[in-house]
Amino acid sequence: MFLINDLITLLAANLILSRALGTSTLFIAAGGRKNLTATACVITFFTTAGSTAAYFIDKMLPSAVSDLRLLMYIIVIGVLYVLLLTAVYYISRPRFEELRKYVHVSVFNCAVIGTLFTINERASMNGSSYDLGDYAAAGLEAGAGFIISALILTVAYRKLNSSKVPSAFRGFPAMLVYLGIISMAVYSLK
Amino acid sequence: MLKKARKERHIWLDIMLTLLALELMSYFYYGIRSVVLAAVCIVSASAAEIISIRLMKRRFSADDLTCTSDALIIALMFPAVMDYKIAAVASVFAIVVAKNIFGGRMNMIFSPAAAAYVFVLTSWGRKLLQYTEPHVKTGIFEKPEVLVNSASHTFDLTGTFKHSDFEILLGNFSGPSGAVSILLLAVAAVVLMFRRSISVGAFLGTIFGTVFFAVVTPSVSSKADSLKYSLVTNMVLFAAVYIVADKRIAPKRDYYAFFYGLFIGVFSYVIVLTGAKENAIVIISVLFTPAALGFKNLEKHIENAALEQADDALINENAVTEEGIIGE
Amino acid sequence: MNDRRKALMGGVLGDNVVLSGLMVISPVIVCGDTLKNAAALVYAFSAITFLAVLISSFVPQKLPYTVKVILYAVIAAIIYIPVKFASKQLYPESISRIGIYFPLLAVNSLIVFQTEAKFFRMNKRDMIISLIFCILGFDIVMLITGFLRELFAYGTINNHIVDMNTLTDGLSKPFGGFIFLGLMCGAYRFVRNAVQKDKSEVRSDTDVSYK
Repeated sequence: MFLINDLITLLAANLILSRALGTSTLFIAAGGRKNLTATACVITFFTTAGSTAAYFIDKMLPSAVSDLRLLMYIIVIGVLYVLLLTAVYYISRPRFEELRKYVHVSVFNCAVIGTLFTINERASMNGSSYDLGDYAAAGLEAGAGFIISALILTVAYRKLNSSKVPSAFRGFPAMLVYLGIISMAVYSLK
Repeated sequence: MLKKARKERHIWLDIMLTLLALELMSYFYYGIRSVVLAAVCIVSASAAEIISIRLMKRRFSADDLTCTSDALIIALMFPAVMDYKIAAVASVFAIVVAKNIFGGRMNMIFSPAAAAYVFVLTSWGRKLLQYTEPHVKTGIFEKPEVLVNSASHTFDLTGTFKHSDFEILLGNFSGPSGAVSILLLAVAAVVLMFRRSISVGAFLGTIFGTVFFAVVTPSVSSKADSLKYSLVTNMVLFAAVYIVADKRIAPKRDYYAFFYGLFIGVFSYVIVLTGAKENAIVIISVLFTPAALGFKNLEKHIENAALEQADDALINENAVTEEGIIGE
Repeated sequence: MNDRRKALMGGVLGDNVVLSGLMVISPVIVCGDTLKNAAALVYAFSAITFLAVLISSFVPQKLPYTVKVILYAVIAAIIYIPVKFASKQLYPESISRIGIYFPLLAVNSLIVFQTEAKFFRMNKRDMIISLIFCILGFDIVMLITGFLRELFAYGTINNHIVDMNTLTDGLSKPFGGFIFLGLMCGAYRFVRNAVQKDKSEVRSDTDVSYK
């Protein structure tokens, strides 16, 4: 029973369904099983590692210069970007060319940067009680939310791109409406 | 193909007949207003269907009349005194946004009626969940004087249900105009199941899921009462027949459909129990559309694998026969 | 109109950034519910994107792709600071409503991906023209979305009450944004197909894709 409630809470807090963060990236991820797995893994890495780093930025950055937060986040994500590409290069050199495209597409987008800002927003509402673990957990949760949304879209992908769908709506527009209706159901459960 | 089309029309006819029976009951309790509401829904849904089919450069055929059953389902989920404009907008939303944008009846994703209900719930929730008492008949253009919460709402919040079993069976308690006539719904469910006009697996799964959880984690002190009220309140029976067990949406195989229905039954029961969310089953059925699609994809994979296996077997058989002929 | 001009000005109609490329859609979906928000976002997006792409064009092209992308994002993040400061003066009410979507404009696909894929392959003059039309494409969609959603969801136009009987509250919510944008994309493609009479190609050339 609690598991069901937790699942509903996770859905309601989903950054794509409730805040439309990372929708374009989601459309790419839902294109195939391989895309989904690789993109979801990279996004989850960036949201989790990024939020952990964001914890220190939020702690150190004075509120008077809060507009610098974006710059700091981008520098952190940039460093993680280089580190991940380097790691992929040394771990799997033959597949580097294939894997790096997933890293490129998952780095600077609303899903990752939006997650960091959302967590910052949540932390400022909770005050000092929001610690490093909470930041990392929230980042992981955002990654999990991305995976759930991608799965929701993947199962309908063939139908939404079917020749039976009017050509004007085939693909992206149908996906948007589909996500909109699912998001509407999630919203009405709140 | 012809057989399939004929079957589709028979299903629509069966569903329409049972819905009309419910509409008749609604007329008995709420008067002409409920009939006009149904007419508004049907006319606007038909107009939306005709226009969108024209825009899709297809011809309107008898099969496209399924939009009328969706419209009637919407009307029966609404209070009889629902604003006509909202009912019309909901019907258009169901047909255009939840159905034809995805390719219409040949490529259904959502139950149009369920999607429209959730749309109205999010935009005009207060109007959707306020009802007149049974036997209070409102004129066609009159505004209702007294509106009350549904009996389901009271039960969800307080655990009390002040109606006799006889009243429950006849639908003599406040709620959506067509979703409270329990006896009629039960008969409709049995008839539609025997005529295979609804997904038997999905229907039984929903009922089993609800009943199982109502007994394991009762919402009131008595398990029997919990079981009874969990089925008759919150449109569970109505949604199980006309939304969850909709053959266009539910997985084809009863085995998968059962689990699809089971999940919906369990989730909606838990949400009603923990959050007192009225008519949660309709929302959950929309939310579980991806699950239905997932099951359908699985069915397709299995079918394809079986076909490939059959092809391989046929090729092997032919090869053996040819070898035999050459050998001879 | 010749092909070159079509390609340069396509950002508005032929290959709209939002409706065709599905770029920068989060702010449109979530914040495009009033004309005031739309105006604030239009200002912020136009200023950040134009300046960021223009300044980024001076980044040496010989650098590795990863380094260039990071530099483009850093440039956009630096430009974001004065733009945000000016926005606080110009649109004080909308800034809090837009919230986290304001900084997200600095990492939009036009700056991060389209610079490499499209703009920096052109000469400076063409790049500026194409960029202006891409920005205009976003601005027009944003304003139309803000206007229509405000009208149908709140019954107002730029905070002035209009006589609307039935308001669709859901349109102001993110799910309303998803559905509205989906419908708008479909209508745009329908019109575009009718005008171009080229129904074979429904996907955009500028959609967000793997590099």
